[in-house]
Amino acid sequence: MARSVILIVVIVLILGGLFFLLRPDTPSGVPRDRTIAVSIEGGEMSPAEISVNEGDSVTLRVSSDRPMELHLHGYDVEGEVGPGQKASLRFEADLTGRFEIEDHASEKELGVLQVRPR
Amino acid sequence: MHASRVAAALTLSFLLAGARPALAHGFGPTYDIPIPLWLYLYGAAAAVVLSFLPLALFSRKERDSPNRYPRLDLFRIPSLRKVLSSRLLTGGLRLLSVALFLVVVIAGLVGLQSGFNFAPTFVWIIWWVGFSLFSAFVGNLWPLVNPWRVLFDWAEGLVRRLGYRDGLELDEPYPEALGIWPAVGFYLTFVWIENVFSGSYVPRNIALFALGYSLITLYGMAFFGKETWLRRGDAFSVFFGLLGRFAPTEVRVKNPDVCLGCDGCGDDAGCVNCYECFASAAPEERELNLRPPAVGLGLPEKVTPGGAAFVIVVLAGVTFDGLLETPLWLEIVRLTPVTQTLGTILLPLLFFGIYLGFVELSRILGGGGEGGFWRFAAAYAFSLVPIAIAYQVAHYYTYLLVQGQMIVSLVSDPLGWGWNLFGTADFEPRYGIVGAGFVWYSQVALIVAGHVIAVYLAHSISLRLLRDPGRALRSQLPMLVLMVLYTMTSLWILAQPIVE
Repeated sequence: MARSVILIVVIVLILGGLFFLLRPDTPSGVPRDRTIAVSIEGGEMSPAEISVNEGDSVTLRVSSDRPMELHLHGYDVEGEVGPGQKASLRFEADLTGRFEIEDHASEKELGVLQVRPR
Repeated sequence: MHASRVAAALTLSFLLAGARPALAHGFGPTYDIPIPLWLYLYGAAAAVVLSFLPLALFSRKERDSPNRYPRLDLFRIPSLRKVLSSRLLTGGLRLLSVALFLVVVIAGLVGLQSGFNFAPTFVWIIWWVGFSLFSAFVGNLWPLVNPWRVLFDWAEGLVRRLGYRDGLELDEPYPEALGIWPAVGFYLTFVWIENVFSGSYVPRNIALFALGYSLITLYGMAFFGKETWLRRGDAFSVFFGLLGRFAPTEVRVKNPDVCLGCDGCGDDAGCVNCYECFASAAPEERELNLRPPAVGLGLPEKVTPGGAAFVIVVLAGVTFDGLLETPLWLEIVRLTPVTQTLGTILLPLLFFGIYLGFVELSRILGGGGEGGFWRFAAAYAFSLVPIAIAYQVAHYYTYLLVQGQMIVSLVSDPLGWGWNLFGTADFEPRYGIVGAGFVWYSQVALIVAGHVIAVYLAHSISLRLLRDPGRALRSQLPMLVLMVLYTMTSLWILAQPIVE
C-alpha cells in the first residue's frame, strides 16, 4: 500500500514538473491590433497561412489580380476584391482554430487563417 | 437561403468538385490546430511514465476470474426495466432506424447531388462517427437497430405469416475455416471508400453502396442463417460489437443453460453481449448491467479465424484516416510507388506483422502458455482497442460537434429541395464551441488515458493466460513497448501540420 502511494506521488511530481518545464510562455503578451497584407496571384494566396493570436484585432488587406468573392470560414467575413479593388476583412480573433479562406465565385480554397489560443 | 447555409453547401460542392484531390476524405473542413510540439512530447512522456502505474498497482493481484468486476443490473430497478424493455421503445428505435436508412437511400438517389443532402452528413458524421462513439461510450445498440436485421426480421415474419413455416433462412453450413474473414474484407473495403475513394461524399454513390451492401447482407443472412452471417460477414455488426466491449454497459444472460449450443458466446465468460441468447432468454434471466468501462475487452474470447486480424484492421484503419492528412504520407505517395489504395492494404499488413512479432516476443518472455500462439494473438488484440478509441474521439469530437450540427437543418430538407419540414432548415451551425487550447489538452488527455487503460487490460489478459504474476509481468515488457509505439503514433498524427 505504502509503495503504491509513493509511486503515485512520484508520478504526479514527474508529470507536474515536466508540464511546467515544457510549457512555453503564453504568446506575445496582450492582444494587439494587427494589419496583415495578403496578395492573391494566379489563385495562390501569399502568405498561404496567416497566423494570429486569440484576442487580436485583425485587418486583412487583400489585393488580387482577379475579381473574387472572399469568404473567411468560421468568422463568416466576406469581401469583394479584384484588380484595383483592395478588400479589408476586419474581425476580432475570438474563435481559436484553423479557418479556410475561400473564393465563393470559383469555390476554391485560397489559404487558411490560424488563430492560436492564448 | 441563409448565407451560412450557402457556405455549407458550397463547402460540400467544393469537396465534390475535387478541388482538393489529396483530401479524398468524406468530410468537411476541420477547425482544429495541430497540437504543439511541446505538448506532443509531454503527452508521450506522460504515456511512458503512467504505463508503470497499472503494472505496479496490480502486479501481485492475480484475478482468478475475468468476470469478477462490479456490476449494477439496471433491470432490477422496476421503472427503468419497464421503460428499457418496453416494446414502444425498442420497436420505435427499430422503426426509426429503417426509416433513416430509407431516407439515406432516397436522398442519395433522387436528392440534390451537389450540396444540401441528408445522406453524406448522416452516414459519415452522425452514423459512422457519432454512432461509433455511442457504441464505445454508452453501449452497442447495433444488434437492436441494424436496419438489415430489422428488414430481414420483418420479411421473415411476413413469410411465416403467409404460411411458409421454414421462413427465409436456408441455414447452409458456413465454412468455419472462413471465420470472420468476410467481415475483415468488407471492413477494409469500407475504409477504402471512406478514405481513398474520391466520390465517397456523393449522395448517389452512398445510396448505391448502401443498396449493394444490403443485397450482400440480406443474401448472406438468408443463405447461412441470420445470426451466423451477422457475426461473421457483416462488418458493421463485428465492428460495433468490438466497440461495445469497451462500453460501460453489457447485456448478460444469468442462466448458462440458455447459451448451450450457441456459437456466439465466449467459452468461460458467461453469456455477455450475446444478443442471440439475450433475445431468446426468458425476461427474468436477462440483465442489463452497468460495468466499469473497457472490462469487456478483457473477457475471454473464442478464437475465430480472422478475429485478431479484424481488430488489427480496425486499429490500422483509424490510424490510416489521420495518416492520410500528414506531410509524411504525401511524401510517401510522391516518392514511392505506394498509392492511397495500396496504403489501405499495406498499413494493416504492417500493423499485423508488427503486432504478431510483439505477441511472439511476449510469449517467449512469459515462458509460453497454453492455447498456442493464436490464442495470445486473439486475446491481446483487444487490449489495444482503447488506444484506437481514444484516438478516434480525439481526432473526431470537434468534427462531430461542428459538422454534426448540419444534421439539424438537413432533417428539415433531406433532399435539398428547399423543404422546411420541421422549421429548422435555416439553422446556423455554431463554430468555436470548444477553444483550440481546450482541444489540445483534451486530445492529449484522452490518448494518455486510453494508453493507461490498454496497459491495464493487457496485463490482466496476461494474468488470465499465464496464471502466474511473475511470468505475466515479464510478458508485458514487449506489450508495453508496442503500446507506447501505437500511442506515440496517435499523438504524432495529431501534432502534424494539416496538409490537403
